[in-house]
Amino acid sequence: MKQPIIRLQSVNLHYASVAYKERSLKTLLSRAFHSGAPRVTVQDVHALKNITLEIKGGERVGLLGHNGAGKSTFLKTVAGLYPVSSGHVQVEGEIRSLFDLSMGFEPDATGRENILYRGLLLGLSPTFMRSKEAEIIDFAGLGEFIDYPIKTYSAGMQVRLAFAISTAVGGDILLLDEVIGAGDANFMTKARQRIASLIERAEILVLASHDFNALKSLCVRGVVFHHGEIVFDGSINEALIEYKKVNEMKDVL
Amino acid sequence: MDRRHRPANGNGRVMEYFKGIWRARYFWSHLARSDLRSRWRRSFFGILWSIIQPLGMTLLLALVFSKMFKTDIHAYAPYILSGIIVWECIIACVTGGSLSFVQADAYIKQYRHPLAIYTLRTVLTSLIVLLLASVALFGWAAIVLPQHIGWHWLAALSVFPMLWLILWPLSTLLAYVGVRFRDVPHATGLVMQALWFISPVYFEVKMFRQGGLDALVDYNPIYHLLQLFRAPLLDGQWPTLENYSFTLASAVVMALLAWMVGREAERKVIFYL
Repeated sequence: MKQPIIRLQSVNLHYASVAYKERSLKTLLSRAFHSGAPRVTVQDVHALKNITLEIKGGERVGLLGHNGAGKSTFLKTVAGLYPVSSGHVQVEGEIRSLFDLSMGFEPDATGRENILYRGLLLGLSPTFMRSKEAEIIDFAGLGEFIDYPIKTYSAGMQVRLAFAISTAVGGDILLLDEVIGAGDANFMTKARQRIASLIERAEILVLASHDFNALKSLCVRGVVFHHGEIVFDGSINEALIEYKKVNEMKDVL
Repeated sequence: MDRRHRPANGNGRVMEYFKGIWRARYFWSHLARSDLRSRWRRSFFGILWSIIQPLGMTLLLALVFSKMFKTDIHAYAPYILSGIIVWECIIACVTGGSLSFVQADAYIKQYRHPLAIYTLRTVLTSLIVLLLASVALFGWAAIVLPQHIGWHWLAALSVFPMLWLILWPLSTLLAYVGVRFRDVPHATGLVMQALWFISPVYFEVKMFRQGGLDALVDYNPIYHLLQLFRAPLLDGQWPTLENYSFTLASAVVMALLAWMVGREAERKVIFYL
């Protein structure tokens, strides 16, 4: 089998501003008839600026940066969800990503049914999901609620189930976006262990987080994002120092 | 998820796209099934509603129209029924299709499946409803027009793949546009109403011809599509080659349009959700 690899070459990514402006024909027409300059101009958001980065098999990478620095955009680009405006993205290997965990449940279906549905969403086969069902139910620890519709679940229960399903299957490349921090203390311990074992099995880990302890214990390499650019790439300890420096120096002023 | 081997030429990319749709087959077939389940959930007649509803509508319309236009109700009622069920299927795909991506945003934001699976879900659901409703049509035709039963009845089944070939690209096309302009469902409602008036959906073909509006019949893909049902069941004939060429040509045009728009739009959809 080939080595999994993530390689980005001078990647730029813009969020098209039309996505927020022209939602309807009305706005399009009213602009055509309105001669004056619009009061507020919404610029295209330049979310990733000239990113060149290579992550090889066996690497554990932590992403640091303030909110909106481009960490999540980077992860979603690697996952193939976002199209790049320019540059080249090469990803080899099976990707398993954990973001927006509680999205995509079917509220009227039971927890048990949703295990199957979410597995199918992740591109897995029904047979495989059935073989994993008992393990997932056990891990989520929802007891009899597993046969109740999802709409009766509390937010915490939903996250637990989503986490149990999404982490039941590993992949070569694991992309995590702030998932650690769901559920009660008891579940948190289990979740940490589960993530640790997933990470062990994965060839590549990319973790975006604000939790310095998690970053230090899980990652070796650290990449600091600032306003869409990579400002530092090196060991995780140095990256943490750099992150603090960048944000205190530039943001407090 | 391996995107390195994306070939530069268009053909390879189209092949990759359809392979992706095939790989996601468990997912979209599940989505279509769950749509059908939720449609019939908690209702007493459940699945039967798909048969009862067009039948009731047909009875009503046939009674009124046969008096108004002085036509024979026995032959006219199944004519209306065939019009109603096919038209409802088209409407469901056009209006539902334009919202397919908006509706599936939670899935689109999480996993990179080819987007056409979300319109495929809409189209498959509508076609299954049509299949159920057509049981009533076959039954009715068998009772009222037993002299027309024969091998050509098999040709009536061809309406399903033909509809699928037209409606899947059409709803995908509308979904690409609809995700950016949320006016699309309203606009298509209007367009479909207009199309309904100028097509022999409920009104008989001879009414158009008597009014000198032959072009609305002869060059109307909707007429030719409906003939796939009507020629065998109501007239006891095979559909003509012309019927098939018009429907196939519409399918090709739709597919080309969807492909042209999709080439650019497919990957940008996520920004508009």
